[in-house]
Amino acid sequence: MKKTLCIAALLLSQLAFAEVAVIVHPSNNNALDEATVAKIFLGREKSFADGKSVVPVSLSETAAASTAFNDTVLKKSSSQLKAYWSKLVFTGKGTPPKEITSDEEMIKLVATNPSLIGYVDASKVDASVKVALKF
Amino acid sequence: MKTFKLPGKRKLLLTSAVFAALFSQPLLAEVKLNGFASIRGTSVSTDGGLEPFPGFEEGELSFKPESLFAIQAQADLGEGLSATVQLFGEGRNDFDIEARWAYLSYQLNDSHRVSAGRFANPIFHQSEYEKVGYAHNFSRLPKAVYIDFEFSTIEGIALDSQFNLGDYSLATKVLYGGWSGEAFSAVTNTFVDFGMDNIFSANATLAGDWWQLFGGIFATEIDGTSIDNSTIFPLAAQGIAMAQNMGATGAQVNDFKSRIGWDGKDAFYWFSGFAIDYNNWLLDFEYVDYVVKDSTDAPNQSWYLALGRRFDNVVVTLHTEDYAQDTDHDFLNGVAHPVLLATGKGINNAFAQREFDGVGLSVRYDFHPSAAIKLDYFNGSDTRPAVGDYEILSFGVDLVF
Repeated sequence: MKKTLCIAALLLSQLAFAEVAVIVHPSNNNALDEATVAKIFLGREKSFADGKSVVPVSLSETAAASTAFNDTVLKKSSSQLKAYWSKLVFTGKGTPPKEITSDEEMIKLVATNPSLIGYVDASKVDASVKVALKF
Repeated sequence: MKTFKLPGKRKLLLTSAVFAALFSQPLLAEVKLNGFASIRGTSVSTDGGLEPFPGFEEGELSFKPESLFAIQAQADLGEGLSATVQLFGEGRNDFDIEARWAYLSYQLNDSHRVSAGRFANPIFHQSEYEKVGYAHNFSRLPKAVYIDFEFSTIEGIALDSQFNLGDYSLATKVLYGGWSGEAFSAVTNTFVDFGMDNIFSANATLAGDWWQLFGGIFATEIDGTSIDNSTIFPLAAQGIAMAQNMGATGAQVNDFKSRIGWDGKDAFYWFSGFAIDYNNWLLDFEYVDYVVKDSTDAPNQSWYLALGRRFDNVVVTLHTEDYAQDTDHDFLNGVAHPVLLATGKGINNAFAQREFDGVGLSVRYDFHPSAAIKLDYFNGSDTRPAVGDYEILSFGVDLVF
């Protein structure tokens, strides 16, 4: 029992402290802060500071990075986020970001499309993308 | 004046057109499917024996009045064009499926989107998603404000806009449309034919990180020949006959009928309020005001206030609401005959008769990533003697996918 609790605690602490990186295409030179990223992922901001269109992409809601991103940047639990998007989806006012199943796929997509912005576990980032923000 | 239903060729044509756009180009369009459902058991008890709201069943636990489901298909046709259909069924209508939404949208640019077809009427702040239980923390949005207007779905054209104002965002909507169907009259406790022409509405929501301020208006011209002939004039018939026996002239009677009737009159609705979600405390308030101007309709001023507290995946909400109507006899200014005057006042008083208020407690538990269990208790009081004091107890699950 004690052992299980210790493992659970270890896992939780790792989840809590896993760093998340917000990534963009290497050619993207826009400065991004947490508030702007939140607006982009909540559908309230449709373009980067340079005026070019932005398309947010999320990891699936079960990914540890998603929980951290939702809590820290969007300041919403996954249920709150789902309720938020329900109001928009069923009134035709917006659609949630497309969900990607893995960090690797996310990096691959963002590396090939200057319009995309995504987030991944920071330890998975490679040189094909630019880290705009880390937390 | 309250609620409605609608069949009609216009709806069928519109739905067919949107379905054609949705499914005729499977190679070009990406179709997204979403949906929502509520399965809710509701038990109502009243002092007077009459259910407090149409569709509820007094005295027994029923899963019909508040269970519903919907499936929505949105086809992205590319270049900013999309087509959306939402099929909807609810227990109170025996789960008969109707195309609740059927519209085309075109994204003009990052800020503006225009839509045309059949869609939600944004009567009040949450009207557009009032059936999506998962989107809010109540079992049902407070009835004092969200009283199931059946003109909640209309045909028309709308412009949705989104603006960034530094740390704030502003969402606006302007709309033009029309509606025809049936309205529930609390005076006669029946549904009568009704219509709304030249609906114009505009609303705005200013939002910060943890707060929202909102307001809007909705104006329309009433197509009320049927309600005049089936409800208003029959209510006045005895008084008019008595007045004629006491010397009222034909001109006086015609003038009186034009004053008490609803047909061709303007109706105005407006709402305002705020929503706060700060440190897991939630506070919501909405005030609404509406009337069919210069008629026997009673001006309505209603509101609700809700205070909630979020504990991880549980939200507890205490709410109170008030549905209030005024008597307003200004529409009779200039009516000289005392019997006609008394008759007009009597009808206005009858329309103003129904008022209710109450308090409720709602508990939401997000037990699943896409579903929430809700428990709700409401204790209300209705001025109609056939209703009186009442209680509504409900439990159920709201989900989205």
